[in-house]
Amino acid sequence: MSAATPPLVEATGLSKTFAARGVFRRGRPVQAVRRVDVSVARGEALGVVGESGSGKSTLGRLLLGLQPATEGVIRFDGQPLDATMPKAEWRRLRRRMQIVFQDPFGSLDPRRRIGAQIADGLAIHDLVPAAERAGRVEELLRQVGLDPTHAQRFPHEFSGGQRQRIGIARALATGPEFLVADEPVSALDVSIQAQVVALMDDLRRRLGLALLFISHDLPVVRHLCDRVVVMYLGRVMEEGSAEELFRAPAHPYTRALLSATPRIDPARRAKRILLQGEPPSPSNPPSGCAFRTRCAHATAACAEVVPELRPLGGERRVACIRAEEIA
Amino acid sequence: MRPGTKRLWVPAGLVALIVLLALLAPLLGLPDPVRQDVAQRLAGPMPGSPLGRDEFGRDVLSRLIWGARSSLAVAFASASIACLFGTILGLLGGWFRGLGEFLAVRSMDIVLCFPPVLLALLVVTLLGPGAGTLIMVLSVLYLPGFVRVTYAEVLSARSHDYVEAVRALGASAGRILTRTVLPNVAGPILVQFSLAVASAVVLESGLSFLGLGVVPPAPSWGLMIRGARATMAQAPLLLLWPCLALTLTILAMNLLCDALRDAMDPRTATARPRLRLLDRVLPGLVPPAPNAEAPEAVLEVGGLTVEIATPRGPIRPVEDVSFAVHAGETLAIVGESGSGKSVTATSVMGLLPPAARPVAGAAWLEGRDLLRLPEPELRRLRGGAMAMVFQDPMSSLNPVHRVGDQIAEAIRAHRRGVTQAQAWSRAVDLLRRVGIADPERRARAYPHEMSGGMRQRVMIAMAVANEPKLLIADEPTTALDVTVQAQILDLLAELRRETGMALIFITHSLGVVAEIADRVVVMYAGQVVEQGSVPEVFGAPLHPYTRALLAAVPDGDTAPAGIPGVVPQPHAFPVGCRFAARCPHAKPACEAAPPALEGAGEGRTVRCIRWAEIGAKKAEAVA
Ligand SMILES: Nc1ncnc2c1ncn2[C@@H]1O[C@H](COP(=O)(O)OP(=O)(O)OP(=O)(O)O)[C@@H](O)[C@H]1O
Ligand code: SF4
Ligand code: SF4
Ligand SMILES: [Mg+2]
Repeated sequence: MSAATPPLVEATGLSKTFAARGVFRRGRPVQAVRRVDVSVARGEALGVVGESGSGKSTLGRLLLGLQPATEGVIRFDGQPLDATMPKAEWRRLRRRMQIVFQDPFGSLDPRRRIGAQIADGLAIHDLVPAAERAGRVEELLRQVGLDPTHAQRFPHEFSGGQRQRIGIARALATGPEFLVADEPVSALDVSIQAQVVALMDDLRRRLGLALLFISHDLPVVRHLCDRVVVMYLGRVMEEGSAEELFRAPAHPYTRALLSATPRIDPARRAKRILLQGEPPSPSNPPSGCAFRTRCAHATAACAEVVPELRPLGGERRVACIRAEEIA
Repeated sequence: MRPGTKRLWVPAGLVALIVLLALLAPLLGLPDPVRQDVAQRLAGPMPGSPLGRDEFGRDVLSRLIWGARSSLAVAFASASIACLFGTILGLLGGWFRGLGEFLAVRSMDIVLCFPPVLLALLVVTLLGPGAGTLIMVLSVLYLPGFVRVTYAEVLSARSHDYVEAVRALGASAGRILTRTVLPNVAGPILVQFSLAVASAVVLESGLSFLGLGVVPPAPSWGLMIRGARATMAQAPLLLLWPCLALTLTILAMNLLCDALRDAMDPRTATARPRLRLLDRVLPGLVPPAPNAEAPEAVLEVGGLTVEIATPRGPIRPVEDVSFAVHAGETLAIVGESGSGKSVTATSVMGLLPPAARPVAGAAWLEGRDLLRLPEPELRRLRGGAMAMVFQDPMSSLNPVHRVGDQIAEAIRAHRRGVTQAQAWSRAVDLLRRVGIADPERRARAYPHEMSGGMRQRVMIAMAVANEPKLLIADEPTTALDVTVQAQILDLLAELRRETGMALIFITHSLGVVAEIADRVVVMYAGQVVEQGSVPEVFGAPLHPYTRALLAAVPDGDTAPAGIPGVVPQPHAFPVGCRFAARCPHAKPACEAAPPALEGAGEGRTVRCIRWAEIGAKKAEAVA
């Protein structure tokens, strides 16, 4: 995206710490997101990739104001979001940002007809007179490629891919400008996955949506997104255009992630960088570089300071002190 | 009509009948329930009094029906009051948490501390007996039950994405609670209601029996039992009637609430397969002999067909599946969800659910047909000559035992004469072998203390503990992160090389197949559609489905292409080619008859009547 278009959603210094659970608050707090800066422009698809526990979902929820941030500022269309905003103000903003979930089975209310669930957003914000809602629901169903006569059915009558389309229709009902898709295709079969990805791509282009696409499936992100943010233990490790980042990953973690992704075509298979061990717990992250316990290039200096996310030419930014050396 | 409504009629009718009888008591022209007639004391059935007279000569039937009035009024009133307030408190406590939660839930704990009868006694002594007091006492008693049930249900409903979705839509707390949360917690509340009514009827009778409830001479079941007890020897039937009425009412209530809960759930119609004992018994089919010419395979499956009894009739989620796997070889079974991969694997292991049974085919392992082996012999093979690793290691590990003990147990189950100490040290060796750092300490850990990747390593250690000839891994890496998946794939490949075991790897990821397997079986809708060596099948797919599947994977530079339509469900498999509805090459002939699995070169099979034709066309297009 060119610098001319101001971002629709912009967060700076975003952090989220979950207090330890239990009556006595034993254990340490979980630092799910740590000092993250992101922005999404209108019509742009930003991919967020990382392993489980890296804070991807939490980041999405923070940007939507579904969870209060511990630190940092989020601006939506220039307006700062904060928890103390009047309720009516919040509701007006809610209409403009929506979310699509990962689990096609848990994200729909099993006891209500899908038409009613899609109409919820229309009713809550009183967007369409009650008499015309049925017509609008049919239109939405058609838009996501479903049979409009199915509005009276229950969620269990649909397959996983169809449910995901219903979830998308529900999110689109209020005419949002910003859509967070939290692993929307991870639970789907490949043949269905491609259908849903194509649908999201089409909607984004047609409706000019700003899309935050959370996924651990790198090839999918590569096809759908303009820009990518790579997260590890709550921090951004690398950021750049999808094209560049996948062609020449600069951060050791991005490289490992790419090389671990199973490829069909043997010619495309990168030499496998086998990481040792597993990601440390977000309640007890290593000092300095979050990745240093598994990084093959780690030196003593890596334990000292948290590497800042610094520019590496063009849009690319990387949080590794040795990025140039090991390139 | 919603599914499940049919089951509602009988219990609803029963409850309606009881309630109606009680309501209409004044209109039924019954004798006055309190009019005494000492001359007819304890009289048996007679005209005008079909159930006879009680110890004061009052009409028993009349007292029974009028008694229902007071018993049910007290029960329903107290249960309703408790239900209303309890649900509200529970909803608020569960939704707002914090102070509300504390007040709503903790105050209930205090009420729960009082023994119910004692509390009732206390209040009645203070306020005097009577229906009003009784209703008050009982509603307080049942309140905590409703609060706790609602509270727990709200907490679990809160964690669902569909509640989060309505929040994201900007709905107010009130709307979320009434439209989304309440309907989803209504089932358990209804059950609680039936329990409360039933127990209130009993408690009302009990208190009245003790003289603390309904005041005589007004009729109530409790009072009737109390009266009948004194004359039990002379007129035992007098005791029977109120007890019968009590039992019947409670039973009807419970049935009604069960049925209500089912009827309110739109999903029940498809759930719950009926289990038949008969299905466990294998039919005495003559198994086809194993292929004599080919080199000895570790496992050879031929014509495997599995039938599952469902409420909608029998289905065949796996039909005519054949494949073989040799020592030191990795065979991948790939297919989308519902294609029958896991059913195939579990029937080989003899782990099919009770409603499923193999109806045709054979699975030869070391000269024995696994499909016809009695359970004790299968058990000896499982964990011994053949082992399995599942997708979710947590569900297959015992949460209350140390992982070292579980591995040691697996060793000792198959090797007599191995001491506990020997088995333990072998377990530690195995943990080291599967790449767990500090195995001595980790062996003492419980499964929940380990990460997903580590648990999967433990499962693998357990599976290879007795050096199996065959290891079946069913989506062992699907729940893991890619970097951990890469580690597990490496480990499995290494173990296979070292031990020479045959490995069957089930997955839905073509990328994983390409990384790990020598040969691949592609399944679609319960059938094998293509089979061959991985480079050949992926390099030059013959079946239109394989081709479409490869194109759907976002791997190359072209955008992934979805396959239109969905996989057919087992109860609606078409007669002809099962892929026809989604196949770009379908011709009328494809739908006429089921295509056979044809040979297509060395070790290659394909189930498509047009494969040669399509292949030729492709070659032309390229040229
Ligand atoms: N409500 C919560 N309370 C406590 N900890 C939480 C909560 N939500 C998330 N976490 C923790 O924050 C960390 C980041 O979680 P998040 O769900 O954002 O990860 P993710 O990258 O989306 O993972 P996945 O791919 O598994 O969904 C995890 O360690 C998680 O356990
Ligand atoms: S900063 Fe050091 S430890 Fe972190 S990724 Fe770079 S080289 Fe590795
Ligand atoms: S048999 Fe016909 S419908 Fe089936 S895959 Fe072959 S060409 Fe397609
Ligand atoms: Mg997540």
